[in-house]
Amino acid sequence: MNIGIPRALSYFDYFPMWQTFFNHLGFKITISSPTTKDILNKGVSLCVDDACLPVKIFHGHVADLVGKVDAIFVPRLISVSPGEFICPKFIGLPEMIKNSIKNLPPLLIFNYNLHKDTEDKKNAFYDLGRQLGLSSRSIEKAYKEAISRQYIYEVMLESGQNPLAILHPKEKWDKLDSCKGVIGIIAHSYLVCDRYISMDIVRKIRNKGYDVRVVGNVSQKKIEDNLKAMPKRLFWSYGKKLLGSGMEWLKGNEVDGIIFLSSFACGIDSFIEELIQRFNARKLKLPYAVFTVDEHSGQAGFDTRLEAFLDMLEWRDKSGYNFSSHGQDVYSGKSSF
Amino acid sequence: MVITFPHMGKMYIPVKALFDELDVDIVIPPKISKKTLEIGLKTCPEMACLPLKINIGNYVESIKRGADTIVLSGSCGPCRFGYYGVVQKEILRDLGYDVEIVILDPPREGIKEFWERVKKISGNSSLYKGLRAINKAFKVCEETEKLLQLVLRQRCREVHKGDTDRIFNRFEEKIRKVKGAQAILDCIYETKEELENIAVDNKKRPIKVGIVGEIYTIIEPYVNLEIEKRLGNMGVEVHREMSVDGWVKFHLSPDIKFRRRQKRILEEAKDYLGLCIGGHAWETVAHTLNYSRQGMDGIIQLLPFGCMPEIVAESILPTIAKDENIPIMTLVVDELTGEAGYQTRLEAFVDLLHLERSRKENEFGKVLSWN
Ligand code: SF4
Ligand code: SF4
Repeated sequence: MNIGIPRALSYFDYFPMWQTFFNHLGFKITISSPTTKDILNKGVSLCVDDACLPVKIFHGHVADLVGKVDAIFVPRLISVSPGEFICPKFIGLPEMIKNSIKNLPPLLIFNYNLHKDTEDKKNAFYDLGRQLGLSSRSIEKAYKEAISRQYIYEVMLESGQNPLAILHPKEKWDKLDSCKGVIGIIAHSYLVCDRYISMDIVRKIRNKGYDVRVVGNVSQKKIEDNLKAMPKRLFWSYGKKLLGSGMEWLKGNEVDGIIFLSSFACGIDSFIEELIQRFNARKLKLPYAVFTVDEHSGQAGFDTRLEAFLDMLEWRDKSGYNFSSHGQDVYSGKSSF
Repeated sequence: MVITFPHMGKMYIPVKALFDELDVDIVIPPKISKKTLEIGLKTCPEMACLPLKINIGNYVESIKRGADTIVLSGSCGPCRFGYYGVVQKEILRDLGYDVEIVILDPPREGIKEFWERVKKISGNSSLYKGLRAINKAFKVCEETEKLLQLVLRQRCREVHKGDTDRIFNRFEEKIRKVKGAQAILDCIYETKEELENIAVDNKKRPIKVGIVGEIYTIIEPYVNLEIEKRLGNMGVEVHREMSVDGWVKFHLSPDIKFRRRQKRILEEAKDYLGLCIGGHAWETVAHTLNYSRQGMDGIIQLLPFGCMPEIVAESILPTIAKDENIPIMTLVVDELTGEAGYQTRLEAFVDLLHLERSRKENEFGKVLSWN
């Protein structure tokens, strides 16, 4: 049996775990192709208008798999850590797909819910294995294999590696000969790792001689430590990553500038961005820019703004002048393309 | 300490009853207006949900009238509502307002903090006084909802256009002036009697529309551009399960019968959506199904732009519309929603429902005559 896996949303965080599980059990897997204009357009036309870009893209990737595989894997990540959630749309994803796309092959729904207990991981895999008609023994083995692979992936990320490079070794970044500075990109993994919707921002920045950090590179421990300063427990796992790494970078030792890459209509980004922007404006005033992408984003406008931002960084370094990066100059103003 | 709180429809009535009974001073935020919204728009993140923006407007207007403490209820995910308080605190701080925000999170997040916060806002009343106040507030909450339901029933049937609204507006003016739960209740009963006595056409069989969607948007008339009034004045009977009273009964009070009924309605929708995904999306799907089976002519889903859970529900509703053969319309509102376009869409929808009804009746007539 050939199982299709959409290259979108949680793919970039959990693919090693799924791949190992299915491979170990002898299933063939097919990943949808990297996002293209066609996939985006399909997603936009199938999905409800009001959804955010990443969810629309996910629809496009599922559509890309229809007709090519025997079943499509759709994760329902209710919670990846006790007491936390990701986003309502992650929970309702299978329903959105079922009701929006016609002629679907059977869906393999991966109900992942660690809201009560991390040990519940196991149930998710058992449930998945049973949908495939497998015995407990083989599930158990594949499951153990899967989580250890996932663990390795996470360790590699924390050591500073680029998620895309691990998932697709061909995408590996060459070492920068000299580095003018480091830019931290605050963004959901599925935005920054999708070269099409992120307008290939990582590569563009690196071509200009700046190195890049993404939120996956900040250790969970640091994230948790930073968040202790919040008056109320944050209950979105991805939101925590965004805010926690932003707070880490705002300490000023690791990066020279911050870019918040967010998707239009993302409820979580809107809150986190607001907080980071305010924290930055109050204290360090690092160069900071918000880039919002949606299905109408234009390459040209994006590039111009990115270049302007990098130029400003360079100029700032040379002149040693420390000006407020919030709300005064065109480079850090909020706008979407 | 002078307490204030965000508006959500007529929630201020039971809240006023509660604090009146506790002898705690409050400022009821002025009725939401364009000014309120503008304050929010100027100070909030562009992409924040609409309720958050209006909340900020409410706070600022209340602070200007002397409030120094803001109370709001919290939750812990998955939706944004749970983090409103924190973001709002930061916004108010940067605006230079030195106020205290008390977020009432569910007790399971820490029972000690919960009690401390309750004690703080109850002006250190005794337990007895506190419980009595809560009890009375529950009563006021229930009676307010009954009154609102009566308004829905009478408005579409009134003979002299405007009777219902006139009486209700007068009630709202009066309620801000009286003090204490009993006075509020008296006011409610009086109004109820007045409403019951207006001239109505009881033979009328109005078009029936069920409203589902995000709770704040459903309940707060300013945000939904007074959808109940608009539909009612077109002669449509509006059905609305979602209410402050329902929320209180489901989450806070020990009304087991009510909870069971709600659970049953949710259960019945499990083929479409079988779990809580945050906000009230499950209710939206379940109430849609329930309304169609109760014989509504149509259903309207209301959500603020960008509302995460309702978007999931929105993608499910077309399937229900097909399976149950019922027209469903989704209305997304934001700060730019124009009145004219909104009214046109409502009128077109109601026209469609009239057509559908006569078509169904014709078919039914044919079946009868064949027999
Ligand atoms: S977290 Fe944001 S971008 Fe991701 S699915 Fe939810 S709303 Fe969309
Ligand atoms: S349910 Fe919708 S409106 Fe309410 S907090 Fe969540 S996203 Fe905002």
